[in-house]
This record gives sequence, C-alpha cells and structure tokens, in this order.
Amino acid sequence: MKTNTIALSHAQPGCIACIHSISDLDSLVCRRLLDLGITVGSEIRMKRKSLFGGPLTLESNGQLFGIRKQEAAKIEVQIR
Amino acid sequence: MRTYALAGNPNTGKTSLFNTLTRSYEYVGNWSGVTVEKKVGTLLNKIDRLVDLPGIYSLNPLSRDEGVAANFLLTESPDAVLNVIDSSQIERNLYLTLQLLEYRKPLVIGLNMIDVAKSRGIRIHTDKLSQILQVPVIPIVARTGKGTDAILEQLTGMPTSIETPFQLDYGPIVEQAVVACASYLDNLQLELPDTRWLSLQLFENNTAVKESLARMMPMEPLEQLYRQTEDAIVQSGAGLHLPQYLRSVRVAYIQQLCEQCVDRGKQKEHSLTERIDALVTHKILGLPIFLLFMFLLFKLTFDWFGQPVSDMLDAFFSGPLSDGVNQALTALGASPFTHALIVDGIIAGVGGVLVFVPQIFMLFLMISFIEDSGYMARVTLVMDKIMEMVGLNGKAFIPFIIGFGCNVPAIMSARAIEQPKERLVTTLLTPLMSCSARLPVYSLFVGVFFVSHKAIVVFSLYLLGIVLALLLAKLFTSIFYTSEKSMFVIEIPPYRLPQVRSLIRNTWEKGKGFIRKAGTFILGGSVLIWFLSYAGPSGFGVEMDHSFLAKIGGLFAPILAPIGFGTWQAGASLLTGFMAKEVVVSTMNIIYHAPDMAGLESQIQMAFTPLQAYSFMAFILLYVPCLATVGVIKKETTSTRWTLFSIGYALVLAYIVALIIYQGGQWLGFS
Repeated sequence: MKTNTIALSHAQPGCIACIHSISDLDSLVCRRLLDLGITVGSEIRMKRKSLFGGPLTLESNGQLFGIRKQEAAKIEVQIR
Repeated sequence: MRTYALAGNPNTGKTSLFNTLTRSYEYVGNWSGVTVEKKVGTLLNKIDRLVDLPGIYSLNPLSRDEGVAANFLLTESPDAVLNVIDSSQIERNLYLTLQLLEYRKPLVIGLNMIDVAKSRGIRIHTDKLSQILQVPVIPIVARTGKGTDAILEQLTGMPTSIETPFQLDYGPIVEQAVVACASYLDNLQLELPDTRWLSLQLFENNTAVKESLARMMPMEPLEQLYRQTEDAIVQSGAGLHLPQYLRSVRVAYIQQLCEQCVDRGKQKEHSLTERIDALVTHKILGLPIFLLFMFLLFKLTFDWFGQPVSDMLDAFFSGPLSDGVNQALTALGASPFTHALIVDGIIAGVGGVLVFVPQIFMLFLMISFIEDSGYMARVTLVMDKIMEMVGLNGKAFIPFIIGFGCNVPAIMSARAIEQPKERLVTTLLTPLMSCSARLPVYSLFVGVFFVSHKAIVVFSLYLLGIVLALLLAKLFTSIFYTSEKSMFVIEIPPYRLPQVRSLIRNTWEKGKGFIRKAGTFILGGSVLIWFLSYAGPSGFGVEMDHSFLAKIGGLFAPILAPIGFGTWQAGASLLTGFMAKEVVVSTMNIIYHAPDMAGLESQIQMAFTPLQAYSFMAFILLYVPCLATVGVIKKETTSTRWTLFSIGYALVLAYIVALIIYQGGQWLGFS
C-alpha cells in the first residue's frame, strides 16, 4: 500500500486526515492528546489556522482542541 | 455524615452539578503535606458532604491541579464516588471511569448533557451500561437540574461496600505482577486504599501515587517488579511500555463497551459554536474582538452600571447613615473619642470601601460569564502566540484574566499550567494584574481628574499591568529556564449560555470575600489608622499634621518626591495599602477627614495634579502584592525566597514606572 503522509501543520482548513505517526511528538503533548482521545488512527479535521504561525484549531470526534503549529508539524497524517 | 467525591473530565458540567447538589460550599485546604484547596459542599440533605475534585482526564496527573484528585483518593476514603460524564464524549470520559471503578468504592455515574448528545445523534443505552459495569448510571442535565434528584437519591442510598468489584483482565503477565504487588502492599499492614488499584496505578507510572507510597515504604522492590513486568510486556510484543500497554487494554475494553451501549447516528456539528468561533477566533479579528470585549467590560463596570450604583450607595452612607449614627451617638451621650472613632474612623474607612461593592460585583459577574460561557479557552488560543513569544503559553492568560477580579484565586488557577517553571513565572507575574481591590483607588482618582475619560484611563492601567507582565515574562523566562520546553494543548468546549443561577452564585462566591474583608481587615485597619491620626507625640486629639501617622508617612515622603507624591499622606496610605489595596482609599478618607466622596474628591484635587494622580495610580497598581496575595504566593511556591522576590521586584518596578511617568510627563509638558 502506498502511503503518502504529510505533516498535520500542512493540512488545509476543512480537510480531514488520519493520524499516521506521532513518534516525534513530545511525550507531554502526546499524553494530553491521549487524554482527549487522540492517538494514532484517530481522524482529525483541520478547522482553522492563525496568523504568524499561531496555534491551530482542530476537531476530532466532535471535540474541538488547539495545539501549536510546531507540535502539529511533528504529527504525520494521511489525508482522506 | 458521609463524604462523596465528585470526579470527571474537565468541561463536563461538574461545577454545574456540584452547584445543583449542594447548598453552600467552602474551600478546605492543606492535607497530607500538599497545600491545595478542595471545594467541599454540604449536600441538599444537609448531612453529607460532597468534595469537588479538579477536572481530570486520568488519575495520573500532569499538572499540580490534577494531582489533587489522585492525592485525595489516596489519603482520604470517600464513602462513594460520583463520576460525571459528558455524554457526547462518552468514549474518552470512560477512561477515568474505569480507573475509578478499579478504586473499588461504590460509584454512581451521571451521564451529563444527555440532551446535547441526543441532539447530536448519540444514543446511550443506560440500562445496558449500568448492567455491564454493575453501577447505577443516571442520565442528567446538570444545567437544568434534570435527573439530579435521582443522583442524590442513589448517592445517599448507596451501600458502603460493593459485592462484586469491577475487574478488568490485563492479561497473565500484568495480572501476575498485580497479585505480587498487591500482596507486598497488603503485608505492610498500612492503611491503604484498594491494593489492586494501587498496583495498577503504580504500573501506570502515576507520579502522585509513587510519591505518596515512597513516603511510607521502600520503593525498590516495587520498582524492580515494575521493570520485570515491563520487560516481559515489551518482549511479548504487547506494548511499547507498561503504561501504554495498560492504556491499550482499557481503551480496547471501552471500545467494546461502546459498541454495545452507544448508537451513533449522523454526528451533527455545533452550528452555533461554529459561527461564534468563526468570528472570535478569527485570524485577524480575534485579538481586536478580545480587546473590545475587555473594554466593554470596563465600560459596564465603570460608566454604565457600577459607577451610578456606587454613587447612590455613597449618598446613602454619607447622608442618612452618617446622620443617623451621629444622632444616635449624641443621644446615647457617647464620648468625643467614641464619636470620632465610629464616624471618622469606621464609617469613613469601611464605608469608603463598601461603596465600591457594586462595581466589584459587576466585574466578578463578567469574569464568571467568561469562565462559564467557554470563551476563556478561546482567549488562550488567541493569546498563545503572544504568550509563546515571552516564553509562556496561552493557558497562563487564564490566571491573568481571573486576576482582574482577585489575584488570590488567580494564582491558584495557575496550577493548571503543566510546566513547573512556566507556572512559577505566571504566579510571580499575576499580581501585576489589576485586581478589583485596586479599583476603588482608580475610581476615586479618575472621578476627580479624568471625568470625561474614565473608562479609557482605567483601561490604560489594566493594559499597563498586562504589558509589563509580558515584558517581565520575557525577562524572567530567559533568566530562569533554558531547557524546559513550553507546551500548549487545550480542549475547546462548545459554547454554553451561562445559567443565571450559576452566574449569580459564582459572582457571590467571589465577591463575598471582598465584603468579608471590609468587615475584618479594613475595619481593623481603619481603626488603627484613625487612631494613629488621632494620637501624636503630644497626646490625643492632636492636629493631623502632628499625629503619629504624619510622622510615619513623612519618613517615606522624600523617597516618593521624585515620582510625584512626596507627601506624608501618600506615604501613609501606601504603607497601609499593603494590607489590602482598597485600604488606600480608607486611609485617605480618614486622613483628609472627608465626610463623603465629594468631600474627599475636593481634598484630593488640592493635593494632586492629574499627572501626579496618574503616577500614583500606576504605583498603586504595581508596588507590592497585598498581604493575602503574598500569602498565597508563599503557599504555591513553597519558597520564602520567591515570595520575597515577588515583593521586591514589584517595588522596584513600581518606582521605575512611576518615575518614568512623572518625570517623562513633566518633560513632555503635562502637569
């Protein structure tokens, strides 16, 4: 199977993606995302980006959450 | 009397439920070495107590705030646990539920926001869920109170122990280790919670549990067991490490559980939340909207509502009340001393502060609105980039906003920040947020010097506090920490229209401290100040200028002269302002011997120029945290050094800023 993954930070608003790898992510951030039920295999949707590389608003399973762009850059996703 | 614990994820309506189930509550602090407050309420049956634990996703804490919950379960033994679940996020919420079930105390599950879940196409078979987990499951809507009677009934009717405790099978490797660990703990003959639960928490690497056990026993055998078990798990290929393996077993169980008990129809979006967010978290408009919102808050507090009501109250204190008391005292034949003490000391001092109650309550009401509506999470999002530039994260802005009300709860709310050093810096800087106690001082001065620009002048002071906090954050973070990584992950709850009942209750809970302070600190302070102004080296009833107060205040006058207010009156009021900042106004009322606000205003007009007044207000904003705030800084940092630092830097900062304002202002030609 051919996988073409991109960094979550590159996903466009409105696009739905599936988390492929979070191995580069800081363990604290990982834990917080896990708390929100988000891990490898979770489907997330990019909602909004902010100016000057500010935090991104994302949605997973009806839950809205925000993370920094640098963090999102370490999350590999597959675009649906 | 029985004690129940209320636990649940953040943003599940836990506080709403707490408010519905309890009549009144108080903060109870300090247990087992960790100084943290928990909220304890008396249930509607007037006998039992309900303890509100901070919102947590899991018993394994990341922040100090979250450690409170684990520590509570470790050291206190609640008779039952009430677990609130957000029905629309049931899968994620059930993770904590499993950990609570393993705790093996009677448990009641409240499925909150069942209406929201239904409207989003999620149907939960409560009977089935209850049957599988062997605990009562009650659908509720905490906001409207629906189902809360049933909760109360279940909770108070719970047996004290459970017959068939919940047990999740973690597979032979872990189960064997759990048995070994539990029997080791059992053999110690200590008073511990359920040892299977403890063992599982240890294997989950729960830092709070580890720390607590380490105080009671040697940890080496347990650590060895942990390593052995982890090696076995890794070798078998079941997981990457032990905590992750335990989580995967639980998550698999929850998935299976949800397949049986939850029907998901077509999930609908929160359309209202979508639309509001499109505006308030907008790329460009987000920040201006936040600033506009804050400005409206000040308009409402000062111009539109607070000030007019305060004026009415002032008219009452200085008119009917003073006259009445005067007449009564004369009729009773009170001595001149008593007469002066009550009218010039207590009524002038305490009354002078009480007139600001309407403004302060208005401010607290607005802050409660921001908290309850869900806007707070958006503010952290909008502010994160700016906060990141100064080395903090968006969450540090929450204490800053709460700090506008009162610095004490604000500093406590900094516990939610995960990184210890970021929390320290936030704690140290929160006192720069202009709290409601400084408001009487501003109100007094803007009422005299800046009548036509009240809101904008006060707003500028609040902004000054924020800007200085950000600049110092940059300075402090670059000095104090080099290696600690900043992080920011925030859950954004859907918007909820705050309930009037809960708004009123929150406002009252926050504001009542101010009234209580008026009856204690400010009353005592007023009496003391009045006495110092009444007595002097030459005896009682001296001219104010020859009183002890004038002598003490005079010591500071030369130091204060370069920043624009080198009078003994200013020196004396700043000194007393350390008790509580509003005491500055009480002191001035007494010193200037003002019968009412108008009298004081005309006195102040003679003593200050507008530039001096602005410099004085800036100095009041910054100079030292009040006594209560210093107390809470000491408690939260558990360090005398940092506490002294918080006082010291504030004094230096205040002097420099006031110097720049006064000298710079003069140079620019202001007076």
